[in-house]
Amino acid sequence: MRFTRFSIAAAALIALAACAPPGQQAETGAGATGPIKIANVNAQSGQLSSLGQWEHKGVKLAIDEANKAGGVNGRQIKLDLFDSQGDPTVGTNVARKIAAEGYIAMLGTAESAVTLAMAPILKDAKIPNITSGQSPKLAELKSPFLFLNAPTSVTFDETLAEYLVDEKGHKKIALISNNGAYGAGEHDAFLTSLKTRNVTPVADEVVTPDQKDFNSNLAKIREQDPDVLFIGAEEVQSGLIAKQARELGIEAVFAGGAPMGTDVYATTAGLKNAEGSVVSSPYLSNEASEPIKEFAAKYKAAYNEEARMHVAKAYDGASILIEALKQTNGEGGQKLADAIRGVKRAGLLGDYNYDANGVGIHETKIGLVKDGKVVPEAAS
Amino acid sequence: MHVFLQTLIGGVTFGAVYALVAMGFSIVYRTMGLVNFAHGSVVMIGAYAASTFYMTSKLPFAVAIVVAIVVTALIGLVIERFLRPLENKDFTLMLIGTIGFGAVLEAGAVLVWGATGHAVPSPVATGPIDLGGIRIPTYNLVVIAVAAAATGLLALFLQRTKRGAAMQAVAMDHQAATAVGIHVGRSNAMAFAIGAGLAALAGSLIGPMLYVNPTMGGTLGIKGFAAAMLGGFGSMPGAIVGGLAFGLLDAFAAGNFQEYSELVTFLVFAVIVMIRPTGIFGEATVNRA
Repeated sequence: MRFTRFSIAAAALIALAACAPPGQQAETGAGATGPIKIANVNAQSGQLSSLGQWEHKGVKLAIDEANKAGGVNGRQIKLDLFDSQGDPTVGTNVARKIAAEGYIAMLGTAESAVTLAMAPILKDAKIPNITSGQSPKLAELKSPFLFLNAPTSVTFDETLAEYLVDEKGHKKIALISNNGAYGAGEHDAFLTSLKTRNVTPVADEVVTPDQKDFNSNLAKIREQDPDVLFIGAEEVQSGLIAKQARELGIEAVFAGGAPMGTDVYATTAGLKNAEGSVVSSPYLSNEASEPIKEFAAKYKAAYNEEARMHVAKAYDGASILIEALKQTNGEGGQKLADAIRGVKRAGLLGDYNYDANGVGIHETKIGLVKDGKVVPEAAS
Repeated sequence: MHVFLQTLIGGVTFGAVYALVAMGFSIVYRTMGLVNFAHGSVVMIGAYAASTFYMTSKLPFAVAIVVAIVVTALIGLVIERFLRPLENKDFTLMLIGTIGFGAVLEAGAVLVWGATGHAVPSPVATGPIDLGGIRIPTYNLVVIAVAAAATGLLALFLQRTKRGAAMQAVAMDHQAATAVGIHVGRSNAMAFAIGAGLAALAGSLIGPMLYVNPTMGGTLGIKGFAAAMLGGFGSMPGAIVGGLAFGLLDAFAAGNFQEYSELVTFLVFAVIVMIRPTGIFGEATVNRA
């Protein structure tokens, strides 16, 4: 009997040893030859899953291309997808998991709040993270392992204020934004840009990210008869605000960041209501340049859907990581972070040149919504 | 004054939809003593079904709504059939079962329609009506009218028809109802089907005002549930009053408390329920545990 118990215990121990997390056996050094493990973390379920799915497709396209072309100095990249559900708590659990399982870099997430929650864990584990979040708080972290693949809201909104106030001479500007991580960042950044131009908004309404009825907030804005209504919210909410504002008879020009350049915004608002919206974004359309046209055609062939900024952003981020990995010969940690910082790339969103805060792009362009699509302002 | 009246219009429109959701919760609770946690997801399926038939099959919006109601009523019948063996035996398992069904419906919607969702064009082309500076979107009037008509029809069904009376009897005392020959299972199935149908109506109507996506049932379900509690869970007039009250509370809080609006809405709700735990139209509730 005692022998049987001993054998069971021994068998269990052997089984446990065999079940050790796969990453612990992964080869991570410079001389390694196995696949390079990269984690892609994004919302695949929940309210923000559309962003997460676009991001994943962009990342996958870049990695698949690199693998087909021989990988990183002969080693294939193994991309594993983790669902953050757009939830910071889930994000921190995923961060611990990828740190424990030997992933050497992370791509994603699209949400600033989730990236902010994950950043300290990834920094401790020395895992470089290239995110699509754009909250100024990400740059304020000054983590040497965190990189943004787009500008922060400060750049988006400075370009917008420059166009609206300096160029077009608008002074009667009203704000409506939500108090989520993205909306609050947009609100603060745009307000700062207005303040430097001595412009005080005629109304400053803050809503919640779940709010659907804006009649009360918009009625107050209408009383001020603004020339411009700045909308600081994600795609769907921006569309709902624009739609309800026009129904209420608000004739102001709508202005905002990248979400307002998407088809989700235009169809939610209704094409007629979205017409003429001013968008500040580093990626205006799929026809903006030859490399962008090529990329959009490639994406369409792979996924049978139109490319958009979030796809391009993720593709750029993954391409930068691949370039850095080639330089380190697949090695991670500080060496990889330094290599990413050194990458100079003419990407789809602009010229990447990382600063000490991990911000890679420092300018956006102005576009106008025409028939539901964004066209560069100069060409309109 | 303009701001007040404009807020009122938004509040009543969303309130009418919350009332429909609340009635769906209440009718199931009345007959079975069960909170159907899948109800929010059924609202979402209703919104998807109606918008898909309206946009893809090009059915008139009214017909698309009827088709959506039939689809979700069938889903309601399936849920009830699965839960029936547990009735009078394990109440907690039934509750968990409804939560499970909610998750299944959400995952099913992602499989069928994808995770990204779609915007629904307004079925009413006419511009908003301007009443001395107060703008009322014509579609909002349609929503309020249809919700009112549905409420009237439901009241007629419950009070004037034999099947409706039987459902009322089951709600009051299911053992006595069984004794006089009423088929309790059938009555429950009908309650589930009607509840799901109401959810589909709410979802179909709200679709063109929002953006239809797999997670839209979450907020609508919670607000509809809170509206039913506010009115008095299980009471049909309570669901209507609770829905409208919650819609108005939500709208005025948004204007006056900005980013704290949700906090204020639920604080007021909590205080009302603390003072009057059975809600405004509180009545003796069913308990089959």
